[in-house]
Amino acid sequence: MPMYGDLGNKLVQHAKRTQNLSHLPPYQTELVRAVAREIRDLDKDVASLLEPFQGSFDPSAEQATACTLLVNHLSMRRNKRCLLAYHRIRTDKLEELVWNGADILDLAGQTTGGPKGVTEGNEGGGTTSSLSPQEEDYFRQFGDLLALYKGQWTDIDLTGSLEPPRDLFIDVRVLKDAGEIQTEYGAINLTKNSQFYVRQGDVERLIVQGYLQKLG
Amino acid sequence: MSYYDIDAILTDAEKIPCTFQIDVPDLGYLDNQPGHTLKSGSRVALPIWLAEMLAIANTGAVDMDDPSQSSKSFITFDLPPALGNDVVQALKADPRSVPLRDQSAHFYALATHMMELSEEPELSAVLRKTFVSRAAEIALHARKVGGGGSSYHGRDGGGAGGKGKGKATKDDNASNLGVGGAGEDFLRGLDEWERKLFRSAHDGTKASKEWMENVKKR
Repeated sequence: MPMYGDLGNKLVQHAKRTQNLSHLPPYQTELVRAVAREIRDLDKDVASLLEPFQGSFDPSAEQATACTLLVNHLSMRRNKRCLLAYHRIRTDKLEELVWNGADILDLAGQTTGGPKGVTEGNEGGGTTSSLSPQEEDYFRQFGDLLALYKGQWTDIDLTGSLEPPRDLFIDVRVLKDAGEIQTEYGAINLTKNSQFYVRQGDVERLIVQGYLQKLG
Repeated sequence: MSYYDIDAILTDAEKIPCTFQIDVPDLGYLDNQPGHTLKSGSRVALPIWLAEMLAIANTGAVDMDDPSQSSKSFITFDLPPALGNDVVQALKADPRSVPLRDQSAHFYALATHMMELSEEPELSAVLRKTFVSRAAEIALHARKVGGGGSSYHGRDGGGAGGKGKGKATKDDNASNLGVGGAGEDFLRGLDEWERKLFRSAHDGTKASKEWMENVKKR
């Protein structure tokens, strides 16, 4: 016999699993909707229970009704906590991914690949994108925020590697076309399968994002 | 314990046996009988998040005809079977031989929560002893896994640069290698809190080992 709060519990179990994963599993659109619906249903129940009293409800005179109201209220509160916790786990993860320099396209289009995943993410729910549209917004805006914060220090890269580099210059191979980048030594056009000897600091982010591969 | 703490939320979902003190027409579904009145005296297992407030909340009733009905709670509750006499006796005999996880995945959290609701001095003493003797055993196993099992250590060494969160699950699987028989059974019986302890002890041993090796290289 399903009970109020069971769905919320499922959601939290998803969150628990998410905690131990390095990637972000698909957003549980259906489950989130079902929990929200449960809250609305409970709220309707409360309203209809209270209706006959016309705002003059006396809990001590109507103990049974008071008890039902309390159960409904607690169920709503429980669902709210489950929903918030689920989303908080995911936004924490998203922030971590932004700090690690992840690319939204890689996150959004894990199965379809490329920018298609972003546009198809609205209706398909969990199948095409592992992020909800709101989460994609969050990801983008947090990225902007981080860029703004980082912009205050031009000579240090806050998201750079914590490992001290052994060499200033490294050999890299281009895995995906990354276009032209500007370096101290002029522009380099990064086309797929070409190889370059470049300053590590100039390409660090591209390596993290998977455009370049470090050789040797 | 934070509002957003996943483990705290899951602990609150643990069910405890409750007895209703009043008739409630609309709550029959709690006892698998939707549409029926939930009778006073019905015993129902309710999740803590529901039972706690129902037990604390005062009905505020001041019944002129029957004063005994005045201000009592909606429900009374008992300790869950996980903290029952059988378990306590077994823990008294040998804390290390009881798979706490079979009682509840959040055994200690559940116990702490229950002790906040009702005073259980004996239970508290037994649990404190239980944790201390089990913690020593956990630390022992965690060190063994980090130091021994060279095949597993070599395999994981490559992934050491990976992301921290992903590693935790890998370690979890790997941790069962290298320890045989009784040790494996013991580790399977750890509750969530003890697992965290095991993981920290294990990661700590591994990290210091890695650091020592790096120092030697340079």
